[in-house]
Amino acid sequence: MTFREKLAWVMSIVLVWASLYYLGYVLGQGLGLEAVPPPSVELAFVYVSFVMIGSIVGAAGVALQNTEEANAPADERERIILDKAGKWSGYLVGLFAMLGVLHYWMFQEGNILFHFVVAGLMLSQIAKYVSQVVLFRRGV
Amino acid sequence: MAKRPPITNRVRELREAHDGLSQAALAKEIGVTRQTVIAIEQGRYSPSLESAFRISRVFGVGLEDVFGWEGPPRGDAMGEGS
Repeated sequence: MTFREKLAWVMSIVLVWASLYYLGYVLGQGLGLEAVPPPSVELAFVYVSFVMIGSIVGAAGVALQNTEEANAPADERERIILDKAGKWSGYLVGLFAMLGVLHYWMFQEGNILFHFVVAGLMLSQIAKYVSQVVLFRRGV
Repeated sequence: MAKRPPITNRVRELREAHDGLSQAALAKEIGVTRQTVIAIEQGRYSPSLESAFRISRVFGVGLEDVFGWEGPPRGDAMGEGS
């Protein structure tokens, strides 16, 4: 497994874990309030901190195992994989932003718009790394 | 599984004939990762023209001695006779 594939695995796990925590918190709050919970700065801070610390520790661990590859630029096949994954990830952010705007236009619910955009950002990052793993395994 | 490109190659065969050159050594020679060499050998990835030339130069043979096209010949593909 190459350095970049290991990194994609690590990032997928960190992002899925952090997103599940975020989703669980928002859903829990929503059930308690019986309404759409407002944006929470504290929750966003916890999410961002977890992803930052997780990715730094994970990337450092993977880099220590593959020091030579970690310093080398991506090769031609890896560049194709990173480009494709980035493209799919971009489509997902756009889709969720458009769905959020459409929902806001119909119901004028700002909290939902916020959650759509945040969910889009989270899912796009997960999709980026998961699709990298798939492309590394399956081939391009 | 991704659709395989219609390009065949003899990289593994040439590598073994070349004093059992390892995948890692070949990868280093042509400037890619070992996994990319594995993907090329398994037909899961078609290298760039530059890497294809680098591979053929490592083995000291021509490009067509390493890579081949497994689709129909050009005349058939272009609708020969029309």
